Amino acid sequence: MKKFVYSLALACLLLPACDIEPLYIESDLNWKKTEPQTLQPTHTIRELAAMYQTGKPFVVNTDLIIGGQVISTDQPGNFYKSLYLQDATAGIELKIGRNGLYNDYKQGQWVYVNCRDLSIGMYGFKTGNYGGSGMVQIGFSDPTGEYETSYIESPLLVDTRIARGPQDEVPEPIILARQFPSSSDSQATSSILGKLVTIKNMYYARENFALLYLDSTKDKKLYTNRVFLSDTNGAVGDDKTHGITTWAMSKSKMTEYLCAGLWDACKIGSGSTFTGQTLADFRGDGSYPGVEKAAYSISQYFRAGQQEIQVRTSGFCKFADLEIPEDVLSGRRALDMTGILTIYQGSLQLIVNSQDDWRYADTGEKVYP
Amino acid sequence: MAKRIILSIIAFAAALFPLAAQQPPGGAKGTVLDRSDRSPIAGARVEIFKEGRSGGAVAANEEGLFLLEGYDDGDWAILVTAPGYLPAQLNITIAGSVRDLFTVGLTPSKAAEASADGSDFTEFDLADTGYSDAPTVLFANDVYSSIVGFDFGNVRFKNRGYNSETQDVLLSGVKLNDAITGYSPWSLWSGLNEITRSKVTTNSMEASDFMLGGYNGVTNIFANPSSVRKGLRVSALTNSAMYRLRLMLTYASGKLDNGWSYALSASARFGGNDWVQGVFYRSLAYYAGVEKTFGDAHTLSLFTLATPGIRGTQNASTQEVYDLMGDNMYNSNWGYQNGKRRNSRMRKTFEPITVLKYEYTPSDRFSSRTTLLWRTGLNGYTALDWYDAQDPRPDYYRNLPSFAYMEEEDIDRSNPDKAEWMRYAWTASSSEFDKYRHVDWDHLYDVNASNPDGRSKYAQEERHVDQNDINLAENIKWRASDLFTLTAGVSLKWNRTENYKKMCDLLGGKYFLNIDSFAERDFAVSEAKVQNDLDYWMAHGEAEKIKTGGKYGYDYIAQVRRANLWANGNFTAGNFFAYVGLSAGYDAFWREGLLRKGLFAGTDENGRDIIIDGVNLTTRDSKGRVVSSKGKSEVCRFFSYSAKARAGYTFVGGHRIWADAGFFNDAPTFNEAFISPRTRNTVMEGITTKKTVSADVNYQLSHNGYNARVSLYYTRIWDQSDVMSFYDDSQHSFTNFAMTGISQRHMGLELGLTVPLPLPGLSISGVLSLGEHIYNSKPHMVQTVDNSAEIVRDEDVTWWDRTPIFKIAGYSQDGKPIYDQDIDGNFIITGYKKHYVPGSPQLAAELAINYNIKYWFFEINGQYFARSFLDMNPLYRTDYACKGGDSNPGIIEEMTAQEEFAPAFILNASVGKSWFVKGNQLGFSLSLNNMTNNKNVKTGGYEQTRLIASSGKDRYYRFDPKYFYMPGFNYMLNLYFRF
Repeated sequence: MKKFVYSLALACLLLPACDIEPLYIESDLNWKKTEPQTLQPTHTIRELAAMYQTGKPFVVNTDLIIGGQVISTDQPGNFYKSLYLQDATAGIELKIGRNGLYNDYKQGQWVYVNCRDLSIGMYGFKTGNYGGSGMVQIGFSDPTGEYETSYIESPLLVDTRIARGPQDEVPEPIILARQFPSSSDSQATSSILGKLVTIKNMYYARENFALLYLDSTKDKKLYTNRVFLSDTNGAVGDDKTHGITTWAMSKSKMTEYLCAGLWDACKIGSGSTFTGQTLADFRGDGSYPGVEKAAYSISQYFRAGQQEIQVRTSGFCKFADLEIPEDVLSGRRALDMTGILTIYQGSLQLIVNSQDDWRYADTGEKVYP
Repeated sequence: MAKRIILSIIAFAAALFPLAAQQPPGGAKGTVLDRSDRSPIAGARVEIFKEGRSGGAVAANEEGLFLLEGYDDGDWAILVTAPGYLPAQLNITIAGSVRDLFTVGLTPSKAAEASADGSDFTEFDLADTGYSDAPTVLFANDVYSSIVGFDFGNVRFKNRGYNSETQDVLLSGVKLNDAITGYSPWSLWSGLNEITRSKVTTNSMEASDFMLGGYNGVTNIFANPSSVRKGLRVSALTNSAMYRLRLMLTYASGKLDNGWSYALSASARFGGNDWVQGVFYRSLAYYAGVEKTFGDAHTLSLFTLATPGIRGTQNASTQEVYDLMGDNMYNSNWGYQNGKRRNSRMRKTFEPITVLKYEYTPSDRFSSRTTLLWRTGLNGYTALDWYDAQDPRPDYYRNLPSFAYMEEEDIDRSNPDKAEWMRYAWTASSSEFDKYRHVDWDHLYDVNASNPDGRSKYAQEERHVDQNDINLAENIKWRASDLFTLTAGVSLKWNRTENYKKMCDLLGGKYFLNIDSFAERDFAVSEAKVQNDLDYWMAHGEAEKIKTGGKYGYDYIAQVRRANLWANGNFTAGNFFAYVGLSAGYDAFWREGLLRKGLFAGTDENGRDIIIDGVNLTTRDSKGRVVSSKGKSEVCRFFSYSAKARAGYTFVGGHRIWADAGFFNDAPTFNEAFISPRTRNTVMEGITTKKTVSADVNYQLSHNGYNARVSLYYTRIWDQSDVMSFYDDSQHSFTNFAMTGISQRHMGLELGLTVPLPLPGLSISGVLSLGEHIYNSKPHMVQTVDNSAEIVRDEDVTWWDRTPIFKIAGYSQDGKPIYDQDIDGNFIITGYKKHYVPGSPQLAAELAINYNIKYWFFEINGQYFARSFLDMNPLYRTDYACKGGDSNPGIIEEMTAQEEFAPAFILNASVGKSWFVKGNQLGFSLSLNNMTNNKNVKTGGYEQTRLIASSGKDRYYRFDPKYFYMPGFNYMLNLYFRF
């Protein structure tokens, strides 16, 4: 009897312990693999872009599906939080809003976007003589009105609206030499905007674009916080390069240039809003504490024939500090560049995926083997 | 100076010898035993009275033996007390000899079997050693400490608000507080309750026989085989708030006739609990010891113990996450893998301790203990690691609705539709949304498997803090006379702790590249700079491809050397008692980097700068010193010294009063000195010893079943330093806040009492702890990032100790306050709100009714906790973070305020019983905790050290803090057999 009581007591105690759930402690290679999905597109990218009317972003409320291949990669860092898709008709930026996208969306992979609940808008449109068209994008609505679309960001929305399809070969770039979109073109009217292209025979335009900020803790839109190293501001004579010989600049490279005093003559503000101060006024004890901590943007201009094209390179990418070869800077040699052709305020821009996208036009060799 | 004082004490003691020679021959001796199982109660206090006046007191030794000598013939009363037991009083007659009382049995007052064993799941992100979660109060020899020690663990109550580092914990006479952090080391023996039951604990500044100690008590766990209660004991425990099952088996021989003793113990803890998902224990514990007594004077013991095991941990989250999940016990550490639960953060430990101890007891008046202790083994903590991929943590702030929308219009988060999508992912009931609420393991494997070259983008790392710790401690106790006892000792510590991380699981990939992903953000163009192991890269032309088990990331050794000499003189004359204690110490520590990081390459073997591809990798700090990750750092040396004293008097009727005072000058620990030991050798500027002055006055009553203790205490601590490190995604790097000059002031009241009621066995007891533990300095802060030797911020933390309250002149039409200004235009401050030391309620009270009869015990208690505060970060209290406060002082109030947790009422009950059947014993205890199922009791948390800029960048806002909560209703049932 006593044994029975003891056993019963012990059993009562141990019973609650029996619900230990299955769990992993050691490594296990069993996981539920995600299989590729294929959806039937209802629209081409061009048709989607054509639905957009300038200045009127809209939210899609039907199952409007586009499909295309991934032509960008954020692995080297020149694309950030978004990817480009292209089909036969055009290319378009998908503003996902997450980093490391190349892990999920590989170049050449088919991707289908059900645009329901997503917003279609344009980035880079500007009116006036110096303005022009921008790029139609897919993102999420932006109630602030600051931009026409915002990043999608919501993991649920990304997963339910963007289907990852099968892997395929990366599309061959379209070869461009003379036939460029006009300043009023968008993907609705041009079949090459947003697509992977190779532009032949690009010569250095001896000009760059650089925008510095004086204080990272202040509003970037304040003209008193901006310094444009473009055109003649701070230029020495006719030299509009401001001494910059790289595609972009990493933070340390920018600091190196800055502290060398090369840009001290640059005026603060732009156009009619110059404040009367120059960068030299913000020099501290051998450094520019505010400027060094703030964001900045630097890129170079090239020409293909008469067409000027800004080659956009991020300061965070792995090839930002690569020196442009001397014979390219001097205009003796031209480059063939492969990248995604975009338009911003009517001006064409080219965004390369990696340093392998720069080749000498005369030999076809990689500039950075 | 110290030498002179010691010599004086010895001389004084020698002078007392003649008195000792004249003492009367009477006395009493016996053994204090637990009435439930007849095991000895080491450390029990035995005090002798005559006509209500104390004649002195002794503590029972490890075998429960006590001896009171030198008393006149006549009638005496002996009061025996021990923590966790009801007091016992005996009336005896002494007649010319030492009377043998044989045994004095004490009845357990509570369900001691179900006491905490140091198990815990909560982990703060960067507490790599895992010891910060230890129980912080032990029960010592009075009614207040007994109740607080047993009952307040649920809210992590800390004695007088002190950090756990201030509590000295010794194993067999060797202080085992962590050499790197100072944390108390309970997890080293958790699960070995039977082995560690025999211990002596002193309160606050009470003298200990084993070290001078500080101001927060000393606990010495004997753990030698003869101290383990004799017999075979089996117990099984289940509970709903910790782990499912604990099984313990212990056998101890007791002291055999041939002088041998041996003891063996093993335990296992399994399972998770009802409250926190994803946590689990799979831990074993073992102990084996042997002891031999040679003749009457020599005892040699050898034992080893360890607690090998794995446990899945719990993480803190923001209230937004808890509200989305509808569960304050939500744990973000786990997720489903192929349908099974998997925790990303597991503590893996195997740290065996081996002790060789020699005791020399030539007489009742002199004893000496020499202990050699070696601790070694592995202590790992897993976490997810990733390279250039999305943050896999489900509660990452960018996955939360607040990232898209906040009601505050000044913050640029104004997309309610996007927020709704994020909210839906968290709140939808279907299990298909689990991957948004928990770690999405399947996706991590998918990403790795899709990389054609097999490079893992996600992996599970294992951060190691592996100690090799050798200690030698010698202490003596010399009872020079009935008036004077000298205890003294010396201890030496040699510690070598390797800190590194290794690859635990490649999650389906083939290798992980050993580069610094944080550095790559800033230095993507420099392949050399992003190397974690530059030497490997230079030798092989590429970064190392790390396989499972391979070390990577960081690898350095913390070297610690410590020596301490102490002495304590105890005086007893009539009803007067006192002690004076002194100690002196030497601490040295340094860092030895084993890897050369590209960011802090240092110089080559010839002292020249390292230049690769035209890039100079040798960096220097603002003073021109080379900053290096590899090699030996400067050696930090500190001399420390402490002194403390007590004086007291025992009055007729069991009344005692005493006062303590002490000054303590302690060396900082390794982790308080290096600003970023993972990356470089840089030592914090201005680090110095911590100073503490402490005093208390106390009154105690022990009479006719009435027990009470009242204490008032005051402690001031200054010159403290601290380093906080966390990942700052605005800097894309780990950032470190090194603070010096932190001061605290602790003062308060402690009250404990037990009152017997007319019904035999029925009593009420209660405690009250009312304190004010505050910060009272403006520390200096230096902020650095792991990516650079540059000092990001170097300023005083202006509002660390208080929040200003500005005078409000009125309110605007939109209800915003308009602050009053003086004639100079300055905003008028009307007062300040103090900032409090966090981590423990500063008001804690309990009222309990206890009933003990025929080996049954019952208790029901109500607890009230209030004035608990959130851990602060320094950044929010700087002028930098209070930007805009010069025109809107409301910003200062908002940024610098400290959160106070809501008060909590907790109702608990317990019951227990033991039966004797043919000499065997069966017993159980059951405790029901938080019976009102209060699920909103915050037990801790911390502020995230991040700022949100306003849309106009004219001010900052705070990130949401993270919290830990107490479980709701839970039970603990323990069943034990003794043969």
